[in-house]
Amino acid sequence: MLAGLFLSLPTAADHLGPVPSPLLAGEQAVAIRAERVILRPGEELENGTILIERGRIVAIGKDLAVPEGARVIEGAVACAGFIDPWSSLGLDPSSAADSNSTPGTRSIDALDPWHRVHERQEALRGGVTAARIQLGRTSPFAGIGALVQTDEGSKPVVVLEDACMAGSVGITRSGRSPDVFDRVSEVDRLIGALEKGKRYREAQIDFRKELEKWLKAITEKTTELEKDFKKAKKDREKEEKDAKEKAKEFKEKKYKEDKKPRRTRPDPDDEAMARAVEGELPLVVEVHRASEIRRLLEKTEPFERLRLVIAGGTEALSFAKELVVRKIPVIVYPTPLGVGRADEYEAHDPALAGELARAGVRVLIGSGGGANARELRFLAALAVGHGLDHDQALAAITTAPAQVFDASARIGALAPGCSGDVLVFDGDPLDTRSGLRFVVAHGLVVVQ
Amino acid sequence: MNAIPMRSLVRTLLCSVALGAFPLAQSDQKLIIEAGRIMTQAGPDIENGRILIEGGRITAIGTQAEVEKPWDALVLGGPKLVAFPGFVEAHTSQGMDRPNENIDVAPFLDIRDSIDPVAYFFEDCLRYGVTTINVQQGGNCVVGGRGMIVRPVGMTVEEMTVRPLFGMKLSTRPKSGKSRATQMQALRFAFDDLRTYLEDLVEKEKDEQGYAKREALFQGRDLEAEKAEGRALANATWKLEGLELIPRGALDERYAPLVELLEGRYTAFIHCNDPLDVDHALELARKHGLLAKTVLVLEDDCWKAAELIAEAGVPAVLEGSLTHVERDPITGVEKETFVPGVLHAKGVRFALSSEDPNTRAPAYQAALAVGGGLDRQTALDAVTKVPAEILGLGNEVGSLEKGKLANVLLFSGDPLSITAWVEHVVIEGKPVYERAKDLRNKHLLEGVQPPNTAPPSKADEEKEFEQGEHSDADKKDAEKDDKGNEKKDDAKDEKKEGGGR
Repeated sequence: MLAGLFLSLPTAADHLGPVPSPLLAGEQAVAIRAERVILRPGEELENGTILIERGRIVAIGKDLAVPEGARVIEGAVACAGFIDPWSSLGLDPSSAADSNSTPGTRSIDALDPWHRVHERQEALRGGVTAARIQLGRTSPFAGIGALVQTDEGSKPVVVLEDACMAGSVGITRSGRSPDVFDRVSEVDRLIGALEKGKRYREAQIDFRKELEKWLKAITEKTTELEKDFKKAKKDREKEEKDAKEKAKEFKEKKYKEDKKPRRTRPDPDDEAMARAVEGELPLVVEVHRASEIRRLLEKTEPFERLRLVIAGGTEALSFAKELVVRKIPVIVYPTPLGVGRADEYEAHDPALAGELARAGVRVLIGSGGGANARELRFLAALAVGHGLDHDQALAAITTAPAQVFDASARIGALAPGCSGDVLVFDGDPLDTRSGLRFVVAHGLVVVQ
Repeated sequence: MNAIPMRSLVRTLLCSVALGAFPLAQSDQKLIIEAGRIMTQAGPDIENGRILIEGGRITAIGTQAEVEKPWDALVLGGPKLVAFPGFVEAHTSQGMDRPNENIDVAPFLDIRDSIDPVAYFFEDCLRYGVTTINVQQGGNCVVGGRGMIVRPVGMTVEEMTVRPLFGMKLSTRPKSGKSRATQMQALRFAFDDLRTYLEDLVEKEKDEQGYAKREALFQGRDLEAEKAEGRALANATWKLEGLELIPRGALDERYAPLVELLEGRYTAFIHCNDPLDVDHALELARKHGLLAKTVLVLEDDCWKAAELIAEAGVPAVLEGSLTHVERDPITGVEKETFVPGVLHAKGVRFALSSEDPNTRAPAYQAALAVGGGLDRQTALDAVTKVPAEILGLGNEVGSLEKGKLANVLLFSGDPLSITAWVEHVVIEGKPVYERAKDLRNKHLLEGVQPPNTAPPSKADEEKEFEQGEHSDADKKDAEKDDKGNEKKDDAKDEKKEGGGR
């Protein structure tokens, strides 16, 4: 509408679209040879070679020619780097724990590459090469989360600036456990915000339509007026003359036209919610109890394009059927009883992931929103120990998070074109006895 | 009645034009400053030097053989004293009623309404030889108000003013109650909101023009001819691309200062608490084309982003401690970093500030910097030349040169020596401070009781009680005397002013 105006003032839309940042280029080519290359869970290659150049996987196959000068790494098992779908790794702690965030607050703003480097180093040593980082853990509206590759340096490698919208319902906030009314009203508040976002988007679309109609009408009218101008001028002169002769006051003809439609005022919060409603971003809701899950599922049903993701989901098993039908994934934080976030409702059952997966629900495994992403592999192994299928467990920390957060073309699997994030183990990745020998993150050997 | 609109008119005129320095009221009195050594900060030192000051400016400077002494000049100084240019404070949030209002985005505020001419801070500035001070709002804001440059003399803000409406405060450091993410959200919203407002305004203007055109077509009027007749008075418009249609007066007062900032009228002082804030601040400055007029106000942790600052080429004011202490989160080992050393090594131009909680004296800050390993000239520049340039007063203050303002300090020894005192302060040719007459200093060091500050004797109290019987007003005055404080201040300031002249 006002294209080209205010060059010095970037538009609100500038930071709303996903902006893939260029992958950091590892200067040296890396070739990884492994007896077992897990391309993606369930799809393996024996005695394969992975070739990484300038941060990306360029080729995978048997008997690949290794270019001169490339660094060669050899090991037993190679698989894609892990993705933590529920983390605040690398976020400024005050933002990670912020309870005042709104839907428009952006996690990427709080990504602090200068401090707590050791947490990221540990995550890399644990094989976590990417994470969905989310601020506002105790806020009902946690804002927009980002998908970021783990990096020790001062320049973060961002996969997706806007990876999801997040919120929470019925969790303990600043030490206060919500009562049953709080819990119900929190669901309603979330739904209210979604509805507001929906109306906002509809109003925008209506406005655009109306404006187009108005502009068309006005253009037609202008052409008509220009055509009739000579006549109008003659008429006016005549009327003016007549008025003078009759000693009357000359009155201009009243001009009328339709009012131009006015746009709704841009609102970052409504905009963010609208993107969730339209399914442009998945909506991750941390919810534990059956009563809230039931209400949430019931109330979100009318939003057809909404891509709901449940985080936590302690009592989600009762709704497995609906979760399967509506393709709602669950991010599970499997911990041994009594370990983990003591403030949360019940313990996070280590068997939950297996039970959900057996019922057909897509399961993701995350480290619970804290900064200790390094234990991700062991959480997956724990879930395997409590009945989760091995390949599903591996998928829960690689391909599944990449797919849910729309980054499967770039991370989560070993395929040409993907980011060069490769882990080399001396045994099975989910066997707690096998050691992690090498970590290659975006083409750089960061752990050996 | 007439005086009020006149005065406000004058003020608007003064404010609407970007002005140079506002001079201190001058008399014809010439002043000679003689010193055993003049550290000009603009070349080699001058032994046994003499400075001639006329009309508030230095008209001659050199050895006593070179500069003649007019017969009618006042003479200040002595062979044991060292003359030095007045220190320049590139950024402070002191001397105000309070540093911040509780409003996130408040560019419409003006420090002028908050400056307190009798604040102890300004008295201390004289004591420590600070002669030019840039007062800006505190860092506890998202977009703060506009600041001003003052001199620490005068009983009214007008008298103190060197440059009104100078600089605007922004902060990427989280305001209290905000986290880093919500701070950035608020900052972004401030500019997005401005953009929305301007877009709507421009669109409305265009719509009105379009309507007028169609109306004229309909009514058979010749709009172009009418326009040509009435074009005599063209309004001044904004110098921002896309805003040409909008006359300067048409903007809402809440938004206009921000547009002025984008036009480049104000230097942006962006407060940063840690390296991430520096990153955000530079991103903000680049995004809005403010980089050429940006100054970063840094806390000590920001040294980690020194390379970013050097790359952006923006100057910095060090507000935090000169030594940054950090504990390794795993080993617990403390690591100390000498901040000015890092910044200097990376090529960042920086000014030292007396905002540091340890001291208010720039000389002490500079001495600490030398103690930490910075070379002497860089340390001295950081309290004179660099801050003067940051304030756009590089041609006026910061060194002792012919033509510059006569802001001169007379030290009893080397300015960086811990035993040297500021003996005299001359601001724009006026002697405004003399240590021998500094009562508060004497009270502290020699135990001399300033007059009218002793607790009232019994006889006095009885007398006051009797007086108090007469009327309520008298009683109030008596109570005020009892507290002693207000009375002490007044007496002090009178003494100081009198002593100077």
